[in-house]
Amino acid sequence: MGFEAFTFILMSGILLGGLYALMATGLAVVWTTLGVFNFAHGAFVTLGAYMAWQVSQSVAGGFGFLIAVATSVTVMFCLGFVLHFALIKPFERNQNVVLLAVVSTLAAASIIENAVLLNWGPRDKQIAPPITSKIDFFGASINTFDFVILGIALFALFGLALFLRRTTVGRTLRAAAQNREAAELMGLNVPKLFAITLGLSAATAALAGVFVGSLRFINPTFGADPLMKSLIVVILGGVARFTSPIYAAFVVGIVESFSAYFLGLYWSPALLFAMMIAVLLIKPEGLFGHRSKTL
Amino acid sequence: MTKPLLELRGLSGGYPPVSVFRDVSLSVKQGEHVGLFGPNGHGKTTLLKTIAGVLDPWDGGIYFEGKRLNAVGKMQARVSHNLNYDLFRKRRINALDVVDAGLIYVMQGNLLFPEMTVEEVLDIAPRAARNRPGVAQMRRQIHDLFPRLRERWTSKIRYLSGGERQMVSIAVGLLAMPRLLMLDEPTLGLSPKLRIELSEAVRNIRETGVPLIIVDQNVEFLTSLVDRLILFDHGTITREIPAENMPKHAELMDMMFGGAH
Repeated sequence: MGFEAFTFILMSGILLGGLYALMATGLAVVWTTLGVFNFAHGAFVTLGAYMAWQVSQSVAGGFGFLIAVATSVTVMFCLGFVLHFALIKPFERNQNVVLLAVVSTLAAASIIENAVLLNWGPRDKQIAPPITSKIDFFGASINTFDFVILGIALFALFGLALFLRRTTVGRTLRAAAQNREAAELMGLNVPKLFAITLGLSAATAALAGVFVGSLRFINPTFGADPLMKSLIVVILGGVARFTSPIYAAFVVGIVESFSAYFLGLYWSPALLFAMMIAVLLIKPEGLFGHRSKTL
Repeated sequence: MTKPLLELRGLSGGYPPVSVFRDVSLSVKQGEHVGLFGPNGHGKTTLLKTIAGVLDPWDGGIYFEGKRLNAVGKMQARVSHNLNYDLFRKRRINALDVVDAGLIYVMQGNLLFPEMTVEEVLDIAPRAARNRPGVAQMRRQIHDLFPRLRERWTSKIRYLSGGERQMVSIAVGLLAMPRLLMLDEPTLGLSPKLRIELSEAVRNIRETGVPLIIVDQNVEFLTSLVDRLILFDHGTITREIPAENMPKHAELMDMMFGGAH
């Protein structure tokens, strides 16, 4: 393998890592705040991508992509906000809330996927990338758009972290995540804060969906793969810090692209799951975590 | 005669199906400081948690300035063992209404938000006081009340000592601009030095005129602070002692346990 191929594979791994980071962070934020695992996350990615495709089809001109991203992210935030009251809030007083939320979010995923299928049909679609030029990067020819995606993904994660740490709403959100009873006694409207969390998570999923949709073809069931990878990322990295799943996402992305080159495309999920099992056996709290689960 | 600030009428409650306190009637007037004393495990904390809206009251009424905070009527006993039974039961009291009314409860041994810094916690604390003025002034007052917190301003709560956590909890309660503050065992598990520091702070809070309900096991601490002492035993109020004949520790033990101590 030459240096050029190495750079190319590494860059595609890093790009993949950026997308996984975006998706896994949304999943991790919901897990640490609401205490449930959102199996509809993959469907959020799909729906976000399709909505952006629809808008970019109907809006002409260079700003079409930007408008598509903005619409998709906004609509998905609102949908996530509303879905909290339908999927998780009704079960929160039940002692089996985690299990019930698995069922209700799986149901939502199924409903969303089939709604997408009914509305947009089973044929593959692709969002036209706004930038098609390539640049020479250490001998490898790489799409300029890849760098743009990576930049926006990291910027979005940085923005989310800043929102959680510096703004009053973000801080109340973390407070509700860490001690629900004390947050209620402080007069915080916990259900509303949880709904905002699910909304933010859905918005990041939509952003990731738009990017995936402009790199590959999308179809109504393509969300299953991102969901599986995000699950691996969250388990591999742990959720002790905001950044834990982000580091793990880049590890997974790079491992995936190198294993696809050396072992073949169909072996990379097996390798990733083997890694996940090894981590669960040796360091169950995650590679970049300690035992506590916080935001 | 002035209207009572907080009035409990025949309040009962507990953790279903275990009844913890029964038929508690109590009224607290504006500017009054009331102490609640009783053995461990007899329902003082459960009573305060019920008033604060964390637990559902079983029967009776909680009135704050004449306004009823809990649902009217008796709580129905659980009639089914269906796992989803709880989903269809309405809460009988809403903690947000209680906080909005200005009734603030400071939990005992509260961990608060372990991963947040003191600064962050005190920044979001006044969310409960959205409609009440004077938060900026209270913020300055907090610095004078708890000088120790200023040194730990950027530490996470989980790295604070028990006393410092208690100070943060009380500061959070104060920043909600309470009309009535309920302190649950503020001196629990503190070293004597910290206890003195904390009781000094509580004394200063008392000076500001905020009505207080204090639960504590330390008789000297409690009797020096309150206008009225309420003895709480086996889930109900057994006796009220006015400030004039506040008992010493030994006398109090005599009253409650008939000389066995």
